[in-house]
Amino acid sequence: MSPESAQKKQVPTIGGLFTWPSSDPRLIGIRCKSCGTCSFPKTYIKHRPDCKQPELEEVLLSKRGKLSTYTVQHYPPPPTFKYDGDFAPYAIGEVAFPEGVEVFGIITGCKPEELKMGMNMEVIVEKLYTNEKGEESLTWKFRPVSK
Amino acid sequence: MKEVAVIGVGMHPWGKYPDKTFVDLGVTAANAALKDAGVEWKDVQSVASGVYQWGGGAGIVSGQQLAAQMGERGIPITNISNMCATATSAFRMACLEVIAGASDIALAIGLDMSPIGFLPALSEDPKDIDFLRWRMIGLTNPGYWAMECRKRMDMYGTTKIHLAKAKALTSKYGKLNPYARYKREFNIEEVLNSPVVCDPLHLFMICATSDGAAAAVVCRAEIAKNFQSKPVYVSAATLGSSLFGDPTARLGLLAAPAKQEAPLLSESVSAANQAYKMAGIGPEDIDFVELPDNSSWHYLQYIESLGFCGPGEADGMLDRGETAIGGKLPVCPSGGIGAMGEAVNASGLAQICELVSQLRGQSGARQVEGAKVGMAQTYGMLGNSACAILKV
Repeated sequence: MSPESAQKKQVPTIGGLFTWPSSDPRLIGIRCKSCGTCSFPKTYIKHRPDCKQPELEEVLLSKRGKLSTYTVQHYPPPPTFKYDGDFAPYAIGEVAFPEGVEVFGIITGCKPEELKMGMNMEVIVEKLYTNEKGEESLTWKFRPVSK
Repeated sequence: MKEVAVIGVGMHPWGKYPDKTFVDLGVTAANAALKDAGVEWKDVQSVASGVYQWGGGAGIVSGQQLAAQMGERGIPITNISNMCATATSAFRMACLEVIAGASDIALAIGLDMSPIGFLPALSEDPKDIDFLRWRMIGLTNPGYWAMECRKRMDMYGTTKIHLAKAKALTSKYGKLNPYARYKREFNIEEVLNSPVVCDPLHLFMICATSDGAAAAVVCRAEIAKNFQSKPVYVSAATLGSSLFGDPTARLGLLAAPAKQEAPLLSESVSAANQAYKMAGIGPEDIDFVELPDNSSWHYLQYIESLGFCGPGEADGMLDRGETAIGGKLPVCPSGGIGAMGEAVNASGLAQICELVSQLRGQSGARQVEGAKVGMAQTYGMLGNSACAILKV
């Protein structure tokens, strides 16, 4: 965390998607205790079609997963997506977690050309944009695991 | 579904029409379809209309707006929303009206003016699962397609040349289609040199968004020849939803299952399998297909998902010219969504129009010779898809 960001208040852009505040933030998924199906976010509940006793529990996804695939977004998405300053192309990846779910997210901490299918990634929480109160509005991101 | 025939089809050309309304486009398509069918508006006993979700309150009841311009007559109007599968769902609804005996003659219509550029979010509500990907990731529709495309390239060795070839081929047909928005041929080099949008997909490997409208008049098969000397028969009109364990990076979601327990694009596979079963035929009996080539990845993937070859084999079919007009399975002789541009709620019926034109032998320079059976298949957001098989 840079000294500058340490001074600014940090708030999740939308609550309930990752644990916060936390020094070890995790994505919050949901799992059926009966059929074992895990999904993300916790408001998107899935069961097997033959699941008879749906009983749900929140589950924190592992810190680490493997990169299944990725893309690089070269043009600004529609304005629902907010960012500070000029648009710069950024990578988006799909990361497979041991809990049986693959999650999409922005990739940070490396150049797109350094990305490789199957590489180990970790979940972090970082600024998405600065909101109208001057706070850092946060999202989850994936970062290659440093050696 | 032997009991239903298509007796008329009509379209408003695809393009961008800032000075028109979605209703104007719909009226043009509806009147063209009625004229083609040799019937009048007063003969239509029900309407199935695609919801125009970017059109606010009026767009949700698009069929009522259409009826206002056509002349209100008190007939049943069903407005249907299924994203990319919307228009084909309307077509299916019109067929079901006839099969149920509720209508002798029914009109199906899709009308749309899709927003320019990346299709945007439909709400700013965190409880809308689809909103989350826009706000938290900026994950656009081509972003999903690009991620699936990269998996395919990794798994089967599909190259960017294949992706460019698909566009180059369909653009040849688009040039010959008076209703297509892009009537120009693209060569492979041009496609490869177009800007990267979502790596590995370049601009010309992805469809644009367009305005357009398309309509079909269906009736009981036994009365079809009273109106139309060349009726086309509906062998199947189906809707598919996803299967549990489908690993596809599904439009609108933040996650996918890590363990594959169902086919990729299972909603489309479901729709196609139902259609084959309903028609009592298999992929080998299909003479040509209009599939949803929203991107070059879709073009290749759908050839496989619809059962025309095994996984990873579509690239070879394309390379060998088998998907060209004159090949063993002409794909998108209309030019496809690549040449038309996607008018989300209307594109399915544009595919039906192309099927009818081909099956009547009226497609001119892009005619698939001897076409007797055609298939139209849509994509679909959040796990829905529609399919139709028509024959003469």
